[in-house]
Amino acid sequence: MKNFLKLLLAALFTVSILVACGGGDEDSNADSSEDDNAEEAGTETTEAQIGSDDAEVELVFWEFGNTGYDVLIEEYVEANPHVSINLINQDMNDLHDNLFTSISAGSGAPDIAMVEEAQIERFKVAEDQFYNLYDLGADQVEGDFLEWVWRSGQNGEGSFQFGLPTDIGPTVMFYRTDVFEEAGYDSSPEAVSELLSTWEDFANVAQEINDKTGALMTDAGELVYNARRDQATETYFNSDDEFILEENNQIKDAYDYVADLFDAGLVGDIPLWTPEWFAGMDDASYAVFLGPAWMQGVIKDNSPEEGIWSITTMPEGAGNWGGSYLTLPSEGENSEEAYAFIEWLTAPEQQFKAFQGYGLFPSTPAVYEMTEFQEYEDSYFGGLNTAQVFSEAAEAVIPVYKGRNYYPVDDEIKEALDNVSSGSDREDEWEAMLDRVGSVLERQ
Amino acid sequence: MATKEKSRKLTERKQNALSGYLFVSPFFILFAIFGLFPMVFSFYLSFFRWDGLTPMTYVGLKNFEIIFNDSIFFSSIWNTFLMGIMGTFPQIIVALLLAFALNSALIRFSNTFRTLVFLPYITSVVAVAIIFSLIFNNQSFGLVNYILSMFDVEPIRWNQEYWPVKIAISTMVFWRWVGYNTIIFLAGMQSIPKELYEAAKIDGASIGQQIRLVTLPMLKPVLMFVVFTATIGALQLFTEPFIFLGRGLREEGITMVAYLWRDAFGYNSFGTASAAAIVLFAIIIVITAINLLITNRVGRSKKVQ
Amino acid sequence: MKKNKEVGLKKFSMKKALVYLFLVIGSLASLFPFYYMFVMATRLNREINDVPPPFIPGSELIGNFKKVMSNMDFFGALGNSLFVSVAITFGVLFLCSLAGFAFSKLQFKGKKLLFALVLLTMMVPPQLGLIPQYYIITTLGWLNDFRAIIVPGLVNAFGIFWMRQYIKEGVPFEIVEAAKIDGCSNFRVYWNIVVPMILPAFATLGIIVFMQVWNDFLWPVTVLRDPAVHTIQVALRALNDARQLDYGMIMSGTFWATVPLLIVFLLFNRLFIQSLSEGAVKS
Repeated sequence: MKNFLKLLLAALFTVSILVACGGGDEDSNADSSEDDNAEEAGTETTEAQIGSDDAEVELVFWEFGNTGYDVLIEEYVEANPHVSINLINQDMNDLHDNLFTSISAGSGAPDIAMVEEAQIERFKVAEDQFYNLYDLGADQVEGDFLEWVWRSGQNGEGSFQFGLPTDIGPTVMFYRTDVFEEAGYDSSPEAVSELLSTWEDFANVAQEINDKTGALMTDAGELVYNARRDQATETYFNSDDEFILEENNQIKDAYDYVADLFDAGLVGDIPLWTPEWFAGMDDASYAVFLGPAWMQGVIKDNSPEEGIWSITTMPEGAGNWGGSYLTLPSEGENSEEAYAFIEWLTAPEQQFKAFQGYGLFPSTPAVYEMTEFQEYEDSYFGGLNTAQVFSEAAEAVIPVYKGRNYYPVDDEIKEALDNVSSGSDREDEWEAMLDRVGSVLERQ
Repeated sequence: MATKEKSRKLTERKQNALSGYLFVSPFFILFAIFGLFPMVFSFYLSFFRWDGLTPMTYVGLKNFEIIFNDSIFFSSIWNTFLMGIMGTFPQIIVALLLAFALNSALIRFSNTFRTLVFLPYITSVVAVAIIFSLIFNNQSFGLVNYILSMFDVEPIRWNQEYWPVKIAISTMVFWRWVGYNTIIFLAGMQSIPKELYEAAKIDGASIGQQIRLVTLPMLKPVLMFVVFTATIGALQLFTEPFIFLGRGLREEGITMVAYLWRDAFGYNSFGTASAAAIVLFAIIIVITAINLLITNRVGRSKKVQ
Repeated sequence: MKKNKEVGLKKFSMKKALVYLFLVIGSLASLFPFYYMFVMATRLNREINDVPPPFIPGSELIGNFKKVMSNMDFFGALGNSLFVSVAITFGVLFLCSLAGFAFSKLQFKGKKLLFALVLLTMMVPPQLGLIPQYYIITTLGWLNDFRAIIVPGLVNAFGIFWMRQYIKEGVPFEIVEAAKIDGCSNFRVYWNIVVPMILPAFATLGIIVFMQVWNDFLWPVTVLRDPAVHTIQVALRALNDARQLDYGMIMSGTFWATVPLLIVFLLFNRLFIQSLSEGAVKS
C-alpha cells in the first residue's frame, strides 16, 4: 500500500518536473501552427487543417454550428493553393466569450471569426480591434446583400463594416393546419395569410380559435412581442446610441398588445427551449408559432408527422432572428487573404451550397432567383415552396439600428412581460423595467 | 553539555523554519503568479470604467456609488444570505447524520451507499438543470406542482415568485453538496483513534455518550473545516442560480456572485463588477471571522464538558 | 442526534430500519439525476421532450454514442482529461500535504499569518479572474498547452486547509518528535511517517480534486482552443449545435464521460477502506 502511494508520488514528481521544464512532448502537438498531430488523432471533425502543408498563408477560422464550411473550404484551397485554412468549430457561446477574452487581453484572436447577429452589437465598440472591411473592398460586394442585414453589420454612421453576412433568420408564421380547420377556417397558406393580415386580425382570430377549439393562439407570448418589435422602425436606441424607449410608442404598443393577449388568456408563456416548449410543438394546443427559417428543423424534429404544419407570412411584415457575420479581428496578419476568402465564402454561389447542405438561409437575394431555389419543395409542409415564403420575409425586413445595449434592454422587457403573464400590473411592470434598464445604462 | 544541547536545539529550530518556508513556498509562488495579479487587477478596476474592449477611464468611487444605489445589489446580498441559510444549514446536519450512519460498522452496504450519496457531485450540470426544471416547473405537470395539486394548491411559478425561487435553488444546493460533505465528515470520523472508543466503552459509555463525548469533540477540526468552506461556498453561490434562472438572473434569485458575473459578462461593465467583488470579499471576511469565533467557542465548551 | 444512538444496536429494531430508510431515500434522491442522464443517453431527442418525460431507458444507447463518436474525438479527449486530472491530483496531494504538514507540525516565524493568507485566498470570488488569468497564460505562451490548466490547478488553498486539519489531529506530535530525535530530516519525517498515516485524507482530497478538474470547463474552454488538446468537457461542448440541441447525443457523451469518474471514485474508495484496515491493524 505504502509503496503504491510512493510510486504515485514519484510519478507526480516526474510530471511536475516535465511541466516545470516545459520539455514535454505534449507541447509540440499543442501548438496550433504545426498541426500534424491533429490529423493523426484521426476521426476529428471538429477541426480541420485544410490545404497543403506548404501553403504560404495559414488562416485560423472560428465557426459555430453546423455550417458545412469544411467542404466549401476544400474547394477554396484547391483553387488557392497558397492558402490553408484551420477551421475550428466551437460552441456558440464559447466562441463569443473566447473572442471577447482574446480581444480584451490583446492576444489569441483568430484571423476570421464568425460572430452571431445578436452578439455583434457588443463588439461594435471595438472598432480598432477589427479590420474595416470597407478598406479591403467590401463596398464592391455591398450591393449583393440585403440592405438590412448589411447595415446590421456596421457602425451607427455606416462608415465601418465589421463583417460580411453569412446566413439570416427571416421570421414567418408557422401554423397548424389541423387547429385552423377545427376552428372552421381554410388552412391554405394564402387563406391564412389573408385571414391574419393585420395584428388586429391576429387578436380577433385568436379569440375565435380559443372559443371554438380551446386552443391558444401561440404558447410563447414573447415571440409575438419579438414579431411586433422587429416591425418597429426604431426600437430602444437611435443611431446616436441615445435611449429612446420611453418616447417610443411603437415598442409600448407592442408591449401592451402582448399584455392584452395575456390578459385575455389567448397566448401562453412557456419559456423557450424547455422540454415543455418542444413538446408543445406536437400536441395541437396552439395554432401558430412565429419563428425564423432555421426553426423548421426544430419543429420537424419534435413533430415528425408530415402535413400538419404549414408556413405563411406574418401579419404586417417580417422580422429577423439569428444569422451571422464573418469578421476579421485586427490581430490577424493576413487580412487580404482572409478578406478574399470570406468574400468568396459569402458570395451567392457558396451561400446557395450552404443552403442546400445545411439549410443556412442566404443573405444574398441573388440566390432567391436561382431556379433550384425557386423549385425547392418541402413535403413536410404540404409540398409548399418554403424557400419562397422565407425569401419574401427576408426582403420585407426593415433595417433597424440596435446598439450595444439592445439585448440587456430586451431581456428586461421580457422579464416584465413574464411578470405580466403571471398577473402583475402591466404599468407597474413597465415602470419597474425602466428602472432596471436605467441602472444598467448607468454602467456604460 | 548544556550548551551543546542548546545549540542542537537552535539549529533544529532553524532547520524547522527553513523546511517550513520551503514546504509552504510552492503555494505562495504559484499564487503570486496566478492569483495575486487577478486580485490586484480587480481592485484597480473598481475605480475605472471598462467594457473589456476599449481603454479604461478613471471614475473614482463612481462604481461603488452605482452599485450602492442599485436595489438589486441589496437583493443579491439578502438572497445570498437567505439561500445560504436555507441550503447550507440543513446540508451540514444531514451530511453529519449520513456520515454517522455510514461510519457505523453495523450498517451493511455502506460502501454502496457512500458511492450513491456522492453521485450528485459528479453528475453533469446539464442533466441536473433538466431534472430540476422538471421538478420545479411552473406548469401544473411539474413534479412539485403536481403533488401540491393533490392538496388543492394552485400551480406555483417556481422561477418567478419570491420564496419559491429560493426554495428551488436551495434544494438544488442541498442536493448537490450533501454527499460531498458526507465524504469529508467520514474521513474525519475515520481518523479518530479506535482506542478512544474502547476506553469509553470500558468506562461504560453508551453509544450516544460515545458520540457526544468522543466523536463530536474529536470531529471538531473537520467540523470547523466544513463550516468554514460551506460558508464561503454559500457566499459565493453561483452555479445553481445560474442554471436554474438562466442568463437572465431575475432579482428574486440573484446572488452576489451572479450579480457581479452579470455586470461583467452580461453588461460588459467590469468596473462595477469589480466593485461588487470587493464588497463581497469584505462581507466574506467578516462572516467567516464571526463564524470561526462561534465555532471555536462551541468547540471549546464541548471539550470542557 | 437521537436517531444515531440506535445505529449501533445489534438486534433488528424499528429504529435501525429507520436508519436504512434514511439511507435508501438519500441514495435514491442522489441517484436519480444520474440515472436520468443515462435514460436521456438512450433516447431520441423527441422522446426526451415528451411531457411527461420518459423514465425508463430507450433503444438509442448505441445510436447516440455513434453520433457522439462522429462529432468528436471522444477517446482522444478522454486521454487528455486523464493526463490533466492525474497530474493535477497528484500535484495537489503532494504540495498540499507538504504544506499542511509544515503548517501543523513545524514551528516557523509568521506561520499563523501565512496560514491566514492561505485561507484569505479562498475568499476571493474567482469569477472575475478570467481575463487577467488569460492574460498571464498568453504572456507565458501557454495558450493551447496543458500547462495552462495544470500549473494554475496546483494552487489549492482548500487542500492545504484540509491537510493541515487532518494532520493536526491524525498525526500525534510525539511520533514526529521521536522520528526527529532519531535524526530524520523534516522531509523524511513527512515522507516516511506522515504520508502513510494520512491515506484517508489523501483519498478524500484526491477524489474531490480529481472530480473537480475532470468536470471543469470554464477555464479549459478559454485556454485550450485547439482540438488536439481539448479535455473531455471542452470537446463535449462541440456537440452543442447553435440552435438545435440533440440532448440524446449530448447526454450520451456526458454520461460516458462520467463513467471514468465512477471508476476513479471506486479506486480511491478502495484506497480509503484499505488504508483504514491497515490503520486498524497498526493500532
